[in-house]
Amino acid sequence: MDAVPVQAENTAGAAAARVLGAARTCIARFGVTKTTVDDVAREAGVSRATLYRLFPGKQPLLEALVTRELAALAVEIHEAAAATKCLDDLLVTVIVTAARRLEGHAALATVLAHEPEVLLPYLTFDGAGATLDRAGRVLAPLLAPHVGPDRSERAGEWVARMALAYLCAPSEVVRLTDPDSVRSLVTDFLVPGLIVNPSSQHDAPSRSTKRMTQ
Amino acid sequence: MAGPTSNDPLAMRERLLAATYACVARVGIAKTTVEDVVRESGVSRATVYRYFPGGRDELMLETVGWELGHYLTRLGDHVRDEPDLVHLVESGLVFARRSLLEHAMLQRILQTEPDRLLGLLTTESAKTVPFIAAFLLPYLQREQAAGRLRANLDLDRVGEHLARMILSLIGTPGRWAYDDPVQLRALVTEELLGPLLT
Repeated sequence: MDAVPVQAENTAGAAAARVLGAARTCIARFGVTKTTVDDVAREAGVSRATLYRLFPGKQPLLEALVTRELAALAVEIHEAAAATKCLDDLLVTVIVTAARRLEGHAALATVLAHEPEVLLPYLTFDGAGATLDRAGRVLAPLLAPHVGPDRSERAGEWVARMALAYLCAPSEVVRLTDPDSVRSLVTDFLVPGLIVNPSSQHDAPSRSTKRMTQ
Repeated sequence: MAGPTSNDPLAMRERLLAATYACVARVGIAKTTVEDVVRESGVSRATVYRYFPGGRDELMLETVGWELGHYLTRLGDHVRDEPDLVHLVESGLVFARRSLLEHAMLQRILQTEPDRLLGLLTTESAKTVPFIAAFLLPYLQREQAAGRLRANLDLDRVGEHLARMILSLIGTPGRWAYDDPVQLRALVTEELLGPLLT
C-alpha cells in the first residue's frame, strides 16, 4: 500500500473531523432520520464528492460519528477518573461525568426527544448487552486496581448496567448528574457488591467466577 | 338484555384490549386500525373512543401495558412461595427470562416491527418499576425481620433500586447465563444483593 504523505493525512483528518462535527450539528437540528448527506456537506463546507471519499454514505458517516463520540466520552471519563483515589470517588466521578456529558449532548437530546426508536435497539434487550459489554471494557482498566483484574470487566458491566437502568427510566429520587445523589447510590448499592469478601458466607465457587470473568 | 358485562367498565376495557391484542397478533402493530378493533370486539366506534380517547395510539400503549401486566402476574405467581429473597430473585430471573423468550407474539414483533414495539415497551416497562418494588417490599421486610439485611436500609429505596436492576437483567442478561446455577448464585448474591445482605 502506498504511504500517505503526512500532510495529506492531516488534511484528510481535519476534513473528516469537520464533517463529523457538521453531522452532529445537523442531527441536533433535524434528527438522524431527516439529516441527509447533502445537509452535512453543506454544513461542513465540503463538496459532496469529498464527503463521499471520506465516508461512503450516510450509514458509515453515522457509525464514524458514534465511534468518535463514544471515544471522546471514554477519554473524558478516564481523565476525570485519574484524579480519584478510592473506589467510591472513582465510581461517582465516572457516573456523573458520563451522565452530564450525555445530558448536555444536543444531538443525543434531539434523537431521544423525537426519534427514540433510532437508539432503543442499542439500549434494550440483546442490543443493550453489546452496549453494556462495550461500556464494561472502557471501565475495566479503571476498576482493575480496586476489584482485581479478573473481575474488572464483570464489575464494569455492572456499573454500566446500573447507570443505564437509571438513565432509561428516570427516577424521582436519583439524579445521575448530581454527585450527592450518585454517591448514596454508589455507597449503598454498588460498592459493597463489587468488593467481594473472600470468606463470604455465600457458596459461589471460584471456578465459575473465574470462567465468567474471562 | 345484553350480557352482564355490558355495563361493567373494567370488562369493557378488558374486551377492547383483548381485541386489540388479537388484531396485533394477526396483522402487526402498524396495520391495526381502530376499525379492526371495532370489528374484532363487536363494540361501536363511539364506545372505543369513550374508553380510549387517544384512539389507536392509546389502545396500542394500553395493550402493551395490559400484556406486560399478565406477564408480571405470572412471574409473581411463580415466585411468591420462595423461602427467601435470594431464591425468589433467582427463580424469578430464570422464569422471567424463559417466559420472555417463549412469548411468541413479543418475539415475532421484535423481529417485524422493533421500532414500533420498543418505544411502547420502554414507556410501559418504566411504569412497572413501582409495581415490582411493591411486590418485593414484603419479602424485604421478611429478610429484615430475619436479620439478613444490613442495618439502616431504607426498604422503599432498596425495592425501587432492585426493581430497576431486575428489569434490566430480565431484558438483557449480558454476560450472565441464568441456566447455570453457579453463575446465577454469583450474580444474585454478589452484584445484586451483595450490597444489602449481612
